[in-house]
Amino acid sequence: MDKHLKVGIIGDFDPKTFFSHIPTNEALRHAADALSVSVAYTWLPTLSLIGQPIETTLKKFDALWCAPGSPYVSMDGALQAIRFAREMEVPFIAT
Amino acid sequence: MQDAEHEETAPSAPTLLISKLSCSLVGKTQTIEITPGSCAHQAYGQKEVTEQFHCNYGLNPQFRDTVDMGQLKITGVDVEGDARIVELANHPFYVATLFLPQISPRAERPHPLIVAYLRAALAYHASQRNAENER
Repeated sequence: MDKHLKVGIIGDFDPKTFFSHIPTNEALRHAADALSVSVAYTWLPTLSLIGQPIETTLKKFDALWCAPGSPYVSMDGALQAIRFAREMEVPFIAT
Repeated sequence: MQDAEHEETAPSAPTLLISKLSCSLVGKTQTIEITPGSCAHQAYGQKEVTEQFHCNYGLNPQFRDTVDMGQLKITGVDVEGDARIVELANHPFYVATLFLPQISPRAERPHPLIVAYLRAALAYHASQRNAENER
């Protein structure tokens, strides 16, 4: 059985500015451990989410997380990814 | 909702869906009442939880009813009735919180909302694989 998850984190990773960024990664690992699965997370810079078909970038993820970090470098990028999660019914959490 | 804006980035916009909280929640803890039967309720297994916040903006109370009439449901509120958790109806798992579950004291033990989120991810992953195998 496949026990490996890929999570895409929508946000501009910046632990110096946002103290919650590293805890986001850790919280995912703790939750994955509790379920006896492994998790690989990828931070998706918001600027990278515009200018190409978003499906190409996001289809490999089993879940998407919109991280704290407003205002994002690209609000449009963040919104496009969120819309993808909504329309494609990808499990989504925003904190 | 046309032209919905965030007060942080467009403070003079006419439709401020996200507006400045009357009291900053930076470094604050709040008790949240959760709607029975909601995704959050299923995740937590209880109707009242305490969470940590670190923000200055939230859902503008003016638009609370407008939002709740649509697909986005308010499923967690603070003692004043202000939105703290919203969920999308008709979606396997779509939850947004004003608080930060990732920083709660339960970080050493996994957070139930994040566990529920990953369970949903597992189900999604399985369904995607099944769909691929059928092609």
